[in-house]
Amino acid sequence: MNIMWSLLIPEWTVFAFLMILLFGEMFSREFSGKLASQVTFLGSFVTLIACFSVLGVTDSTFGGSFMVDSLATFFKIFFAITLIGVVPMCHEFFDRRLKNPGEFYLVLWSSLLGLFFLVSANDLLLLFIALEIFTLSLYIMAAYLKHELLSIEAGLKYLILGSLASAFMIYGISLIYVSCGSTSFPVIREVFALRTTHSLILLGILFILSGVCFKVAAVPFQFWVPDVYEGAPTPVVAYLSVASKAAGFAILLKLLFTVFIPFEAARTLMFSVLAAMTILYGNLGALVQTNIKRLFGYSSIGHAGYLLIGIAVGGEAGTSALLYYLVAYGLTNIAAFIVITEVGRRVGSDKIDAYRGLAKRSPFLAGTFFVALLSLAGVPPLAGFFGKFLVLLAAVRGGLGWLALLGALAVAISLFYYLSLVRMMYIEESSSEQAIGVSPVSRFLLVILTASIILVGFWQEPVLSFTRTAVHALF
Amino acid sequence: MTIPLSHYLIVSGILFTIGLFGLMIRRNILLILLSIELMLNAANLNFIAGSALHGEINGQLTAFFVMVIAAAEVTIGLAIAVLLFRKMDSVDTNDIRHLKG
Repeated sequence: MNIMWSLLIPEWTVFAFLMILLFGEMFSREFSGKLASQVTFLGSFVTLIACFSVLGVTDSTFGGSFMVDSLATFFKIFFAITLIGVVPMCHEFFDRRLKNPGEFYLVLWSSLLGLFFLVSANDLLLLFIALEIFTLSLYIMAAYLKHELLSIEAGLKYLILGSLASAFMIYGISLIYVSCGSTSFPVIREVFALRTTHSLILLGILFILSGVCFKVAAVPFQFWVPDVYEGAPTPVVAYLSVASKAAGFAILLKLLFTVFIPFEAARTLMFSVLAAMTILYGNLGALVQTNIKRLFGYSSIGHAGYLLIGIAVGGEAGTSALLYYLVAYGLTNIAAFIVITEVGRRVGSDKIDAYRGLAKRSPFLAGTFFVALLSLAGVPPLAGFFGKFLVLLAAVRGGLGWLALLGALAVAISLFYYLSLVRMMYIEESSSEQAIGVSPVSRFLLVILTASIILVGFWQEPVLSFTRTAVHALF
Repeated sequence: MTIPLSHYLIVSGILFTIGLFGLMIRRNILLILLSIELMLNAANLNFIAGSALHGEINGQLTAFFVMVIAAAEVTIGLAIAVLLFRKMDSVDTNDIRHLKG
């Protein structure tokens, strides 16, 4: 069998940096300090460049179980950019708190390796192993502040509920294996196309989907989100909220649109109900929160609902809108979490009250947070608005008008809690007038992210054509 | 005499359900981890039954991979349980309620 190593250039790059960190950690003291975060930051750019080496390539290797296509490349670029946004946050957050922050970056790289294999998997077994590499790293990262009870508790809750989801998923995979005799996607597709009502396969699909819905935090599999978001370290929450969601949707897209194709009628019904529940739960739950990370937990559930609309609608319009929404959500959420990390570090609190009078204490942070919040709420002309607009438009065209209406109503609810944060920052007075500084790297990243939130909103065509090319792999 | 596939599926279904109930009812973290293990092993039984049924080796390989993953999961779970025990002198989930929800 011929193995095309060149298809794995992004994975090799990630693996190389993983090894550099591992051995650097072993042999050099300096590495466990500041150097690790710098190497990781550099490495995230190198990984991004490496991802472009497989841009436009469609091929598979390792007996067809590893597949590179435009969708996988899209997600790899997405994850590399996420890493670029998250690393400075981790540096800010961990390097002051821990004696050996270097080990954290090791875990971060291993989670990225899992993600890269996950989006390229063309076999249920590889998919499951890659997903486990990713989530096992996340459990460790969530519980990383080992002297803080909240972090341990978040890690434990995430681990127990996450393992439950994995158990459902592997049980579903085993049922599909029993009925198809293979875990390879093309074989399963053929068998399922012939026997569309085979009860074991259908049961298996349901088990797998419930496992994936846990990852994307769809109601009724969302109960872990608020607790984990509140307790876990802030940079980990940022990474979790973007990468875990994107990974879940990558699996959903791949499985529903290329493997379980005859599942279509049930898919629309199932996912439109899930989307409706998720949107309502997330946005209503966010109304009464007092902790900013918990609020973002609920808001991320709400956003998962909009993304699920894209799955329910399907087709090129629905899925490319979903990817556009994911890009907008990723950029905005990282920007918001950089602000939360900075405020959390300087003020020492994640309570919403800490944001009182932020505009006076740091006009820069307040301004960028303002843009991020408006984009999350979906105010034109920002990126988040066009994400919502495209998804809802696809829903109307796809005959799911009621869902689009519900989504539009939920925007009004979400405006309430996002804008009450804005009011707190700009109108209310703070007890302390002390200025809040921002580290240069965070400042630089925030400027770039805010600019791209505005640019992607004004000038959607490049991103949109990129997402359209990406979903061509599906249809 | 060969045992038909349905028997394996029933046993694995029972195992999975016991694990699921254990996870929901038990309050001790160690027993919760044990229940998760049980659910993963239910899947393993399916893989091996499927492998015998189709005369194909991949199912047995998959079972090994699942065991490795289960071990990794439990290792992390125990590590976190140790952290928690140091902090609270208890591995009972009733005592973990600092995050409201």
